Amino acid sequence: MAFDHFAGAPDEALLVAFANGDQAAARLLATRLAPRAIGQAFRLLHDRAEAEDVVQEAMLRLWRVAPEWRQGEAQVSTWLYRVVGNLCIDRLRKRKRSVGIDEIAEPADDTPSVSDRMQDNARLQALSDALAEMPDRQAQAVSLRHLEGLGNPEIAEIMEISVEAVESLTARGKRTLAKILAGRKAELGFGND
Amino acid sequence: MTDKHDHLDDFELDALFASARKADPEPSPDFMARLFGDIDMVSAEVPPADAVRGGLFASIWDAVGGWIGASGLAAATAAGVWVGVVSPSSLDNVTNAFFGDSVSVSLFASEDVLGVDG
Repeated sequence: MAFDHFAGAPDEALLVAFANGDQAAARLLATRLAPRAIGQAFRLLHDRAEAEDVVQEAMLRLWRVAPEWRQGEAQVSTWLYRVVGNLCIDRLRKRKRSVGIDEIAEPADDTPSVSDRMQDNARLQALSDALAEMPDRQAQAVSLRHLEGLGNPEIAEIMEISVEAVESLTARGKRTLAKILAGRKAELGFGND
Repeated sequence: MTDKHDHLDDFELDALFASARKADPEPSPDFMARLFGDIDMVSAEVPPADAVRGGLFASIWDAVGGWIGASGLAAATAAGVWVGVVSPSSLDNVTNAFFGDSVSVSLFASEDVLGVDG
């Protein structure tokens, strides 16, 4: 497999190699980046097909910017986090316009003891719905910090803002989220005392 | 309007995030095939600037010794640029530092360091 030529090569070098006509470099880059990108998109959208569409669109954009990629300015992974995040937020916005949050189907199981898996699904769906309700920047910061587990400096780079602004957005985002999900504690498996 | 008492607390929010982080789907082979198809499509749309196709880049890459060789090549290139831009007088300083303006070599010590002359 031609991947061997590029074993250990940085992402950026693979992109430059693709811009120079080497498709094997792009295939290796796609293989490296797709798992994390799919995870990011799925955790935001809670929809496998939509997540795949978003990642495909983001990767397509990556291949098209390859000839103009400015080396040393941004990491490919940072660029991809940004584009996938923005595309997901766009989709959440459209979803919000077409279906009100109260109209989205709630988890079917209303028995006292639901399985952990069902509870995780219910929470992920509620989170995705709530992110659609939040201001874009807050939703981005919260998802990168708490769903992707990134540090504030990396988030600052992705969002092209200061670390202090990330801290502020994350804190406000959590408060917004707590407020949006108020009243759904029982559904999410939290005691509503 | 919601009562602040109803808002999720930090513990509940953390539990919510932890549940969401468990969702970590793997890309399916079909999906990867779609991505690879896009790579072929974009390659066909825009030929590379130097019209070099396929594995030639990799061949050149091998020729320079891969990443390790390339880093040496980059260092050599940087050195070449330096030599190209410095002025001749600067180079004189360098060559003088190595070779000196003139060199005289005495085969015999001017002083009798071993004391053989008594």
